[in-house]
Amino acid sequence: MKALAIAASNLRRFARERANVFFVLILPMLLILVLGSVFGRGFEPRVGLVAPESGDLTQSLVEELEAHEGFALHRHGDRDTVVRGVERGELEAGLILPPNYDAAIRAGDAVEIDFIARPGQAALSLRRSIDTLLAEQMMPPRIAGFVAEQGAATFDQALAQAATVNADTDGVNVAATVAGESFITRRNWGQFDLGAQQQLMLFMFLTSLAGSAALVQTRRLGIARRMFATPTTVRTILLGEGLGRFGVALVQGVYIMLGTMVVFGVRWGDPLSAVLIVVAFGLVGSGAAMLMGALFSSDQQAAPVGVFLGLGAAALGGCMLPLYVMELFAPAIWTAAHVMPHAWALEAFEVLAIHDGGVADVLPFLGILLAYAAAFYALAIWRLRVVLTR
Amino acid sequence: MLECRDLRKSFGELAAVDGVSFHIAAGETYGLLGPNGAGKTTSISMAVGLMQRDGGQVLVDGEPLDPGTTKLKAKIGLVPQDLALYPDLTARENLRFFGRLYDMPRARLSRRVDEVLEIIGLSDRANDRADTFSGGMKRRLNIGIGLLHAPGLLVLDEPTVGVDPQSRNAILESIEQLGSEGLAVLYTTHYMEEAERLCDRIGIIDRGQIKAEGTRRELAQILSQHDRVRLSATGPLHEGAEALRRIAGVQQVDVTDGAIDVLVEQAGNSLMAILSALDQSGVSITGVEIDEPNLEAVFLHLTGRSLRD
Repeated sequence: MKALAIAASNLRRFARERANVFFVLILPMLLILVLGSVFGRGFEPRVGLVAPESGDLTQSLVEELEAHEGFALHRHGDRDTVVRGVERGELEAGLILPPNYDAAIRAGDAVEIDFIARPGQAALSLRRSIDTLLAEQMMPPRIAGFVAEQGAATFDQALAQAATVNADTDGVNVAATVAGESFITRRNWGQFDLGAQQQLMLFMFLTSLAGSAALVQTRRLGIARRMFATPTTVRTILLGEGLGRFGVALVQGVYIMLGTMVVFGVRWGDPLSAVLIVVAFGLVGSGAAMLMGALFSSDQQAAPVGVFLGLGAAALGGCMLPLYVMELFAPAIWTAAHVMPHAWALEAFEVLAIHDGGVADVLPFLGILLAYAAAFYALAIWRLRVVLTR
Repeated sequence: MLECRDLRKSFGELAAVDGVSFHIAAGETYGLLGPNGAGKTTSISMAVGLMQRDGGQVLVDGEPLDPGTTKLKAKIGLVPQDLALYPDLTARENLRFFGRLYDMPRARLSRRVDEVLEIIGLSDRANDRADTFSGGMKRRLNIGIGLLHAPGLLVLDEPTVGVDPQSRNAILESIEQLGSEGLAVLYTTHYMEEAERLCDRIGIIDRGQIKAEGTRRELAQILSQHDRVRLSATGPLHEGAEALRRIAGVQQVDVTDGAIDVLVEQAGNSLMAILSALDQSGVSITGVEIDEPNLEAVFLHLTGRSLRD
């Protein structure tokens, strides 16, 4: 009951500050709108292509590459431009067709296509996609070449026939079981889905950390000590203060979820599981805020540091750069991201939104988030007791 | 009601409180009189169970009180030196908030909030935010919070600091009234006149130790063979004071606004020498008062420094 009284007073004071309405309710939705509009199509690897010829086979290959959903194709005039683009990070990979591409295939000669990329997982993944595509693309010319070599038809006749046969024939199917996720399938999010998840985490944590300044102010004004002079334990004081911040973060989280669902059609997955994730993450945020509030002695320190830490933790935790992009391009950062609770919450949302998971599927993530919250609260209680009684 | 035995607290090498002992009976007002940094706030922080002690014992109604003890704290009302209230809540909201921390039932809390608002003279501003109040009104609200749950012991830590004379008088009158109603009061101050006016017994504290304790009369007895001579004067007062310090029998000399206070053994024997020394120093005397020593003089005598130091 006392904790509720402290929380209620905290919420009343929060609600009286009009600027809070903007930062808690309006700004997140604006950012989701802006980020969704600008980056909502998700990350698409860029592949530079140099195709000097304009023959049928070249054209056909270019059309196949352009139609591929795993990357965006950019045409360039020469190899150096593509190499430079890859070096500067403007392109994730480059593909250089030889000048005699059509002629070499028609003659049955070996064709060497130059693949340019930086070392790393992303290059391997792109390489596999392109290899598969090229293997499929090469099948009819190979057949046509063989038929023409046997003298049964001209290359072009055989090619036309082979293309038809290739399209009509079921052929041999290889049943493949895929373990894990490729970045391509993770692109199945809606335009605002990922952005909404990221902004939800970012703002809930930021709003919570801003609450650390309120606790510092309560201490600085001598109110925390005065509370401790009443028959109230340090634990109750801290839980009450934390509960206030948790309440604000929870309202914000549910508001963002409902708002983005209605306005932007964001998929959050199973509602109960989604709310559980928001609750668990709210506890993490309020726990972190209480720890900061117990550590800092001035609200002028706590407020900017809270914003800095909130943004930093969000950036590292996958709220600015998607986790799957980290996993592809910087596995070490992806590993480091999991030091942040944001990463676990985002992965839990991914389980809900992409794989239609339920409570049982997100339980491990909830467990990790609650462990974070418990650790933050325990440290904060210990620290506040030291501060109040020394 | 409250008994403190041999309280000790050090911050690093500094012994902030070094063996402080005192007790307060129900209905008694006890004052801790000492300058800033004497150890008053540290002593009462330990007395109300806020601060961890290095040594000693605190008993409230015979039961030991520690920072971890919660139940006993309901018997104590603390009025800290800081204005420990929410500036963005109204007077009524502040009172209700702290009342709930004392587990006061809803109906009693509502009734008591109205009573306290009446006592502290803020009934007409009950629904105004505290940050719109004057310094004196905030101080009164600060006291009201301490009174809300009708404690047996009220602890006030320099409650009149920074308050205008009118508000200060109102606060002192309220405390006098509470004392007369049977409340035990522990009052810390560095204002001699507040201690003299309010307190049944006074402990003179300096450098973490109680130097003397007793009623005002008992403390004045320490300087029973002395008189306090107050010389209203103009001219080079500090030079005059230096000259006075060389006169036999003069114990203390203190220059205040337009006056020199002299503590002297048997004023009748030394008065002519005093007047003569001041005249030779170029000081013009406009008035002479001879009185028995006050607490300021006692404090100066015991500690060698002024309450204002």
